[in-house]
Amino acid sequence: MLPLYLLTSVKTQPILVELKSGETVNGLLENCDSWMNLTLNDAVTVDLHGKRFEKVPEVYVRGNQIKYVRMSNDIIDKFKEQNRGQNRQRPMQKRQQRNGRDRDPRERRNGNQRIK
Amino acid sequence: MSSGSSSNLEDLYLQSYSFTTTAAIIGSVDRKVFVLLRDGRSVIGVLRTFDQFANLVIHDGVERIYLDGSRYGESTEPQIFLIRGENVVMMGELDIDKEDEPLEKLTRIDYGAAFGEWKKAQTEIVERHTIEDKQLRSKGHLTSFLTDEFY
Repeated sequence: MLPLYLLTSVKTQPILVELKSGETVNGLLENCDSWMNLTLNDAVTVDLHGKRFEKVPEVYVRGNQIKYVRMSNDIIDKFKEQNRGQNRQRPMQKRQQRNGRDRDPRERRNGNQRIK
Repeated sequence: MSSGSSSNLEDLYLQSYSFTTTAAIIGSVDRKVFVLLRDGRSVIGVLRTFDQFANLVIHDGVERIYLDGSRYGESTEPQIFLIRGENVVMMGELDIDKEDEPLEKLTRIDYGAAFGEWKKAQTEIVERHTIEDKQLRSKGHLTSFLTDEFY
């Protein structure tokens, strides 16, 4: 699991982002992309001296300005549970695909090989 | 017993390839590591994952600030750190049997106090370089310490 994948899996969770400048943004992660650009909801920004606090309903953070992202230790446990659920569902989805017409082309090729 | 032998096999597999650059830290995954950041602070925790930019995910991580006069401050609540690779100076594995030995020679102070002191030192550096940059610029030198060298 890559670091950015962890980020996508903690959407809607509270995170703390520290920027290179020393400012911090505290909020609920709304979305992120492969450049680590983030959007947060219900955020509180703190200036680099830790003195000025500002409430922002929505904030965008450019990925290259980030120093680190911090989050609660038990978020990873939640993520593990989520993942376990997905793994359980996956074989079901495959079975459904095989019955339907819209199969994955790779799967079809494998099928041909097996016939040979 | 079986898990022990399988991890040995894993080690042998990893050792048979000479990873270079970022991939070299694959051996440190799930080990306790020390990460020094460019701002002078350090993070200690278990390395869980990384990518080609050396973005690191540190589980159970605490922040530690070393100060002058053999003092240090450490955050109390372990958290997950996703550190952006750009900000990493170095990372190394810790021997969990010996990691506390050097700390016994230091005095631990409150993390808030340590953070305040560190912040003050950082602010002083910024101020000094702002003045220096301004004067150098007036002499025709283009410097960019604050944007390039200092985060």
